[in-house]
Amino acid sequence: MLSATRAAGAPRRPGSLGAVVVPLLILAVALCVALAGWALVFVVRDRAVILKQLFGAAAVEAVLLVQAVVAGMQLLGGHSVDGALFWGYVATALVLLPVAAAWAFAERTRWSSVVLAVAALTVGFLEWRLWQIWGAA
Amino acid sequence: MNDVLDQRAAARPGGRGTGRGFGRVLVTVYGILAFAAVGRSSYELATKFSEAPVAYSLSTFSALVYVVATLALAKGRGAWRTVAWVAVTIEAVGVVTVGALSLASPDVFGETTVWSGFGQGYGYVPLVLPFVGLWWLWRRRGDADHADHADPAAPAATAPTTED
Repeated sequence: MLSATRAAGAPRRPGSLGAVVVPLLILAVALCVALAGWALVFVVRDRAVILKQLFGAAAVEAVLLVQAVVAGMQLLGGHSVDGALFWGYVATALVLLPVAAAWAFAERTRWSSVVLAVAALTVGFLEWRLWQIWGAA
Repeated sequence: MNDVLDQRAAARPGGRGTGRGFGRVLVTVYGILAFAAVGRSSYELATKFSEAPVAYSLSTFSALVYVVATLALAKGRGAWRTVAWVAVTIEAVGVVTVGALSLASPDVFGETTVWSGFGQGYGYVPLVLPFVGLWWLWRRRGDADHADHADPAAPAATAPTTED
């Protein structure tokens, strides 16, 4: 599991893995906003979602997974949050993007780009809420 | 713009179901709300149902309505069209009624629900969505069986589809 965090290039601070959770959440928000922006450009240009955007969504999903694993380890290590709320948001964020990407890709009009933008913004919002929940406890 | 969209939709076999074109976006937003509502109500039922049975029953009911509406709009043909009309109408009546009641006497439900304050906690999406849904169903009225019968031998569409 540690190798997963190194592979993502997350900054390593000996003994304080928890310091990585918030930067990962911020990174996730930024990537979601970027993906949504990319999709919105396609909406304006009247284009459907392309494969490259699905790879982009997969990259965001990878960051979400790494963040979930790191947060889980940190919670085992003693960080306290509202567990049901936190994992509810994590699970929703993880499920949403792949399902929405498949749903969007099956539509070959500009509306598919709107679907991807909506999904990316929603995941970005969830990650931002996770950031609040993580810091609140 | 709507004419262009209609032409494009009509040009594609099976392109006039409620889950196509703009309907894709509608179903996406419904799906997200359904997921959020189901998550919320499962949490409430599992951990604190006895604290506010009315509010949490209402949460569960609204979650079910969202799930049914999402499926029906995604399918979009035949009997599913009727199911969509019913579910979206229940939702519109529900959010307006519960929203008004929750403002008139905040204690009536004991706790907040998805529909309290006209869906305030969800950016008023629960208030706007059913009316967009009704508008969309009305726009697509009469097309329910058209796509099925007009092109019985047509390929499933130009793109991979998850429908049917």
